[in-house]
Amino acid sequence: MLLKIAKISALVALATCTLNAGGFDTQAEKDRTALVAYSEAKFKDADKNRMYFPYSTDDELKNNFPKNIKHDAFALGSYAFNSRGKSQYDDIKEMPPYEDAIDEGEELYSKKFANGKSFKDCFPKTDIAGEYPYFDDKKNSVVTITSAIDECLVSNGEKSWNMKKGKSAKLQAYFSFATMEAGKKVNLKIQSQAAADAYERGKKEYYSQRGYLKLSCANCHVQGTGQRVRAEYMSPLLGQTTHFPVFRLKWNSLGTLERRMAGCNKDQGENPHKAASGWMKDLLYFMAYMSNGMAIDGPDIRK
Amino acid sequence: MKRLHKILLTVSLGILTASSLSANAVDEAAALDVKKVCDVGANGLDAVLATAVKYNKAAKEHGVEFKRLGITNSIYISDTLAAVKAKKKETVLNYKSKGKKKTKKFSTDYAAWRACSFAVRALQQKHEAESTWRLAVPGDGFK
Repeated sequence: MLLKIAKISALVALATCTLNAGGFDTQAEKDRTALVAYSEAKFKDADKNRMYFPYSTDDELKNNFPKNIKHDAFALGSYAFNSRGKSQYDDIKEMPPYEDAIDEGEELYSKKFANGKSFKDCFPKTDIAGEYPYFDDKKNSVVTITSAIDECLVSNGEKSWNMKKGKSAKLQAYFSFATMEAGKKVNLKIQSQAAADAYERGKKEYYSQRGYLKLSCANCHVQGTGQRVRAEYMSPLLGQTTHFPVFRLKWNSLGTLERRMAGCNKDQGENPHKAASGWMKDLLYFMAYMSNGMAIDGPDIRK
Repeated sequence: MKRLHKILLTVSLGILTASSLSANAVDEAAALDVKKVCDVGANGLDAVLATAVKYNKAAKEHGVEFKRLGITNSIYISDTLAAVKAKKKETVLNYKSKGKKKTKKFSTDYAAWRACSFAVRALQQKHEAESTWRLAVPGDGFK
């Protein structure tokens, strides 16, 4: 009898946990689905949807924007809808400037720390790029791949690395490449109320206007996607995190997502947030969730 | 043990007070008319800079401090205060851009106006965003 009660209790507890786990990501899934629907509808036929592209020329709308762009294609960023830019991108990809960085990242992964351990002890698997950022309930904080690398260094008595470029970006390039090779996708989960709260904070910041230019991230990367700033098309939020770290021609080096986001902060006219700040982590958590289910395709090149 | 409790209580009260003051600053700033409070001619340099100092502190706490062309509002404020102290009509802003030391000159009146308006506007935008951010979310306010 007691065994029966225990079994039933365990089943009820398991069912409750499962139901709750499903519930925490309800809003995030709703947001993601709506973003996919919006992006696909906007780029179904740019020539017919001219209201979204008020400053584009006839030539651009008729000849440069492909029709019926689907969800996964947005991982290419603005090259998903910029046919002419895409051909230049393809040319650069034939001899990508980040290849050495992947090799250097592999070396860093195996290199021993002063205590004899290495990154292998912190990250036993390398195809992990799709699992970050995640919410750590024990720390009550989002953990990004950059912060996880930093924590591994510090916990092994090593000095922190620059979180925006250099060794951290190279190690991330190696992880990203291994994840892409394994054919893995962004696979984020929101499994607690605290995680859902972090997601909501990130979302709010993404859509809030800021800086002396009073721009939100969404002004350019949701509503503004496909419009031009000078000669460059603005990339979509959908798929924005799948290809990092990126080799930016402007930087002439590899950079992490945190580096790019600090650049966006500056462009908005705001004092950039620190790479390790809660603000940055929450924002990246939201952004990465929007790319859930999309293939990891980093490292990559951007202008 | 009692001492530890006292310290914890003091620290908690301090944090609570600071965060409530900071939240008040957003509401306070939202009610201001930037053109009036930051008018150097009407209020004088000292009052305008005091407004800049007060609200920029809150803007930093909320993570919304303005930065224009490599110059944070904190730099505007500190270098303008230094110019006022030295009774200089021109403010030289010293800042770093891409690792290089740079300078930029403004009239002290203009630098004070900018420091004040940047500080107040940063908080006003924070306040406005509370009611506008959802309007940009597909599937929510953005139709």
